[in-house]
Amino acid sequence: MDNTAKRLLQRLVRRIPSQMLKTTLDKWSRLTAAQRQSMDYTESKWALTEKLLAICEENELTVKHIAELEMIHVIENPNLGMWYVFQLMDPQDDAHSVELTQFKEQFKSHLSELIRHVSIKIKKHTDEAVWIRIAWGDTFSRPNHLKPTYVVHYLQTPYVFLTSPTSKQKPLLSQALVLSTRYQAIKDANLSGRKLTAIRDLLMKQYLQVFPTKFPSPLAERNCVVSNLHIEKEQAGSAANRHQMACEAFGDGILPQLQSAVYKIQMLTQMLPCSLLMFHQLETKFRDHTNKTMTERDEPFKCVVKFASTNLLESLRHSASSGVASTPVTPLLSSVPLKGKNYFVITDNGPGPSSQMKPSQK
Amino acid sequence: MSLLKPFSKLPGLNTANILLVESEEQFQQSLADALVEETSVTVNVRLAKSLPLPMENDESRPRIDLVVFIINLTSELSFQSAEASLKYLDPGYFLGKVCFMVTNARNASSPAERLDAVRKLASSLHCPLLFAEDQTPDGVASATERLLTILKVAAGLVPIATALYVSNLTRCTLPLDIDLPSFD
Repeated sequence: MDNTAKRLLQRLVRRIPSQMLKTTLDKWSRLTAAQRQSMDYTESKWALTEKLLAICEENELTVKHIAELEMIHVIENPNLGMWYVFQLMDPQDDAHSVELTQFKEQFKSHLSELIRHVSIKIKKHTDEAVWIRIAWGDTFSRPNHLKPTYVVHYLQTPYVFLTSPTSKQKPLLSQALVLSTRYQAIKDANLSGRKLTAIRDLLMKQYLQVFPTKFPSPLAERNCVVSNLHIEKEQAGSAANRHQMACEAFGDGILPQLQSAVYKIQMLTQMLPCSLLMFHQLETKFRDHTNKTMTERDEPFKCVVKFASTNLLESLRHSASSGVASTPVTPLLSSVPLKGKNYFVITDNGPGPSSQMKPSQK
Repeated sequence: MSLLKPFSKLPGLNTANILLVESEEQFQQSLADALVEETSVTVNVRLAKSLPLPMENDESRPRIDLVVFIINLTSELSFQSAEASLKYLDPGYFLGKVCFMVTNARNASSPAERLDAVRKLASSLHCPLLFAEDQTPDGVASATERLLTILKVAAGLVPIATALYVSNLTRCTLPLDIDLPSFD
């Protein structure tokens, strides 16, 4: 085993929690039964690493096999690390009939054509996702397995999820993806987050949607949880209205766990108001829109507003249904679930279009 | 203007009606659950986020004996909402039928100026100012007890005592040094 393989294995054993190490190694199935029995998972990580290194030497495993193990770990834990979403544009006629083997062959051949030394592993997960692990090299050096990029693509959808794309690798990756999926272009979808499952659920609307309706509760028996006959809510009607509008904007039940939303505002100050007024109602500090010194400046007013939370959509929905944010929900906030974005650029002409090929900055 | 009037309806037999007004709608729920447990008197609790109350409920609403404004000192919105609701009360309520209840007074994030502002408001209206702790069941229980004491008087269920008489004893007074800067 060469140095890279050893380092990769050491790093992996450090990262994987002891409780999960057993199951991950079993899935990997590169150890014989006897070797698996000999591993004692209550030892310290250092001892486990030494043990595993010895076993891998015995089995003559290479860095490619260790990379497999890493991939298994990442697939089981997709909610670590940052994921960035890209969207494929303009499908060609046969884009919808691309199936797995065709995609795999095409992707591997296109990427290998574009860059000499690259190591690609493609795996299909049980939930129809195609996982790709790419270790990048260049004309002079071998692929660097310590800094891989992971790509997740759901066939027949235009969405691609990437971890840590660098500016050098992105155009090559985009080219390969576009060609192998039979689309014509790819752009930044302006959505990113730590939890892959959350951003995937947000994009594909895998949570309870609430549709606008004139008569939200036709059956009187279904609602009305009165704790006691002597307690009565005076404003139950308007509370129910607010709740309905909040759910229409954000969805009902458990919402995907998005961590943040960033609004980059650039406008000439004479037109300060509308969007800032909307934020004003959320009790942010933007109260000075009538301030003379601000309105008389020539350069555009720039600022970045970032909303962060353990579950952002839940907080926004609660702020709308409790009346903190005014209802009907402002489009600035409801665009997060509606358009599936969490990075917005707001200019004088209203919320700007997402830019092509630009990474989302945080 | 849809003012809430104190004496425009007939009282119920051995009944006391209380209105809890809270912008955040949290503490009022636990207070209400504790208030209705009272056995010697039938307590009816009405919950609202702010005044004015919707006109549709005017007919079914009983005579409100005590209006309690619950203010969370960590939120400016809570204070402003309570202040704005005051003008929808008939002035007759301010003769002992209004009470202010304040939560999170010991919280580090509530500015001292807000508590001073609430004190000034309560004393200018001659209303009592109660401090409550809303996170523990004990806190809720003691706040309920104090409210019940004032409520029974305001509903006329305590012989000899009237709301106006008791409010003279319980109303908030300003300390003489309220406008001087405090030491932290």
